[in-house]
Amino acid sequence: MKILIKHATVVNPTETFNTDILISNSKIIKVREGIKERVDREINAKGKFVMPGFIDMHTHLRTPGREDEEDLLSGSYAAVKGGFTTVFCMPNTTPCIDNEGLVRWVIEEGEKIGLVEIFPVGAITKERKGKELTEFGALAKAGCCALSDDGNSVENSMLFRKALEYAKMFDLLIISHCEEKSLSKGGVMRESFVASKYGISAIADISESLRVYRDIEIAKYVKAPLHLAHISCAKSVEVIRRAKRQYPYFTSETAPHYFILTVDDIEKSGFSGNFRVNPPLGEKKDVEAIKEALKEDIIECIATDHAPHSFAEKEVPFEEASPGFIGLELAFSLVYTYLVKEKILTLQDVVKKLSTNPARILKLSLRGEIKEGFLSDIVIVDLEKEWQVTEDKLLSKSKNTPFLGYLLKGLVEYTIRRGKIVYKNE
Amino acid sequence: MGGWHRKHIIALKDLSRKEIETIFETARNFKEIAQREVKKTPALRGRTVINLFFESSTRTRISFELAAKRLSADVLNFSPSTSSLSKGESVIDTIKNLESYHPDIFVIRLGLSAFLDTLKRYTQASIINAGDGKNEHPTQALLDMFTTHQIKGTLENLKVLIVGDILHSRVARSNIFGFQKFSSSVRVCGPHTLIPYEFEKMGVKVFYDLSEAIKDVDVVIMLRIQRERQKEVFFPSIREYVEKFSLNPQRLKKAKDNCLIMHPGPINWDVEISSSLKKRLHPVILQQVENGLAIRMAILYLIGTQKKSDEDIN
Repeated sequence: MKILIKHATVVNPTETFNTDILISNSKIIKVREGIKERVDREINAKGKFVMPGFIDMHTHLRTPGREDEEDLLSGSYAAVKGGFTTVFCMPNTTPCIDNEGLVRWVIEEGEKIGLVEIFPVGAITKERKGKELTEFGALAKAGCCALSDDGNSVENSMLFRKALEYAKMFDLLIISHCEEKSLSKGGVMRESFVASKYGISAIADISESLRVYRDIEIAKYVKAPLHLAHISCAKSVEVIRRAKRQYPYFTSETAPHYFILTVDDIEKSGFSGNFRVNPPLGEKKDVEAIKEALKEDIIECIATDHAPHSFAEKEVPFEEASPGFIGLELAFSLVYTYLVKEKILTLQDVVKKLSTNPARILKLSLRGEIKEGFLSDIVIVDLEKEWQVTEDKLLSKSKNTPFLGYLLKGLVEYTIRRGKIVYKNE
Repeated sequence: MGGWHRKHIIALKDLSRKEIETIFETARNFKEIAQREVKKTPALRGRTVINLFFESSTRTRISFELAAKRLSADVLNFSPSTSSLSKGESVIDTIKNLESYHPDIFVIRLGLSAFLDTLKRYTQASIINAGDGKNEHPTQALLDMFTTHQIKGTLENLKVLIVGDILHSRVARSNIFGFQKFSSSVRVCGPHTLIPYEFEKMGVKVFYDLSEAIKDVDVVIMLRIQRERQKEVFFPSIREYVEKFSLNPQRLKKAKDNCLIMHPGPINWDVEISSSLKKRLHPVILQQVENGLAIRMAILYLIGTQKKSDEDIN
């Protein structure tokens, strides 16, 4: 199928320009002005912005095991509505994605649906228990490009070191969940005056930053790449900034809630279960530090940490709510509203954080840029449109987000993947 | 009692000084009634009060039960054992379920902090907090303050010291908010491990040495040390705790003369307080219990008799 996008304003990581774009099946054929060609479909993108399809390094699709909360179909719908053409789903599933059979199954089922490319992230250790390594070779062969025990840090430092070393042979990226559980155990929100005032069991920020430090030190020692998941606090940013000077071969991501919400928002919500997340929301200084780190590009990626939970798991006391927010459908609008409109990032930076950097870090070729010969994974956004987040607009099976009711700017109009329009805002 | 507009009593941090004074004024009247031969008034006749205790309690529940009965309300006591309920969701389900009986007031004790503000959305009835997690225990603080007022003649410009496990104490938090509304200054004292993070922001002075903290105070509130918490990492032994933080006659000498000592009970004698102070404490404790009844009657009365149309606050 041939698609011609007319009058596009293309935003690439390093330049923004007006052009037409011709797509033939899975490839971008021409990027130049004034293309005249007989095509199956023409899209007039005047006034809209065209970017390379977003890549989410951190999603939970709850499959297999909790398909009541999200399945590959609903997750795919949510992804393409948010402009994502590639997502990496974490292995904290039941059973755990720690073997090649499940990896293949998820990839195949994802392809059958055919909306978004789903890459399962395999577990580092069997059942994410932190005891024995999984078969990295088999996982890589089955299609994994990254491994993580997401939700758990690999407690045993020797085992973590071995994982980093062993992963190098298969070009697998280790994604680390940084949490020192002996410090966070029992806690449900960030240690802060708000937590003290209401007697809520708290988690100190050093629970994250200590593990960030350990993981970088080990990666540096064995000269392995490393990616740090969902960085949430100023202390971790400090550790990352210092470490980058000596060892630039690790990368990190944050999620939108960490540069928008604080413990004060939890208090204002009356301790709604919808505001519980792990790592927990920080204080103002943390939000500022995360924004600064994104600006300096020492945090290279914005991921969603999309974490669907059923009504029954969120509409409960804050202390008993399951941690996590859905995010696929909100990420771009949140980033645009809170980072671009606030002049923290440019649109080109956003393309880097949401597409180019993830593609580079995960070594996905021909993605992350609008360029002749590249894959035709494209998102078209309307930056003028304003929308209110309401449950009925969300395609995810779960509706757990603290942003319900928020007015956001910027809306995905089209998502195109491999020459197919996989989402159109009606 | 004109001018009462609050539907729920959930936290002392929300109450104004004026509201607290109204509660005290009402409680004084009820104390007088308690002296009479016939102790019952028909104020809440035909109203239903449900005591819903998700966490075990004897003192507070008895006090609330008797308070409601003295006001002629119909009282239902319900203590779902936490083991039979799968926690969270069921708290809401339980409330929704009991809502079918159209109760007027729920008195709730819950092991979770700061959930009652959410819970009130699920009921038409008023909610009175009988202790929620580590957050607040407003009626306990009110009876402490009421007792203080009775003995000291004022609540203003007092130096109040709270000693012990501040971290896990809802009594401490409520008392801090309460006493501060009367321009009294509050100090807290305990081992470093049992003082919450950034607690000075509460406007309190933090001490780690009881002999230091107790200097010139008018009121001391001793908190119960929960022995079962010892297995965690808060302090190594009772022996060491006693040495640093137990209230004994020697330390008490540094306080103001006639310093008032209170304890929410039950007391671990010779842990938080030396048993040689028993004689001094006993009359106060009895007074606290008696005042607790009056305070709870006052709150039930104010909430139970307000006009429905006034019910929009909170």
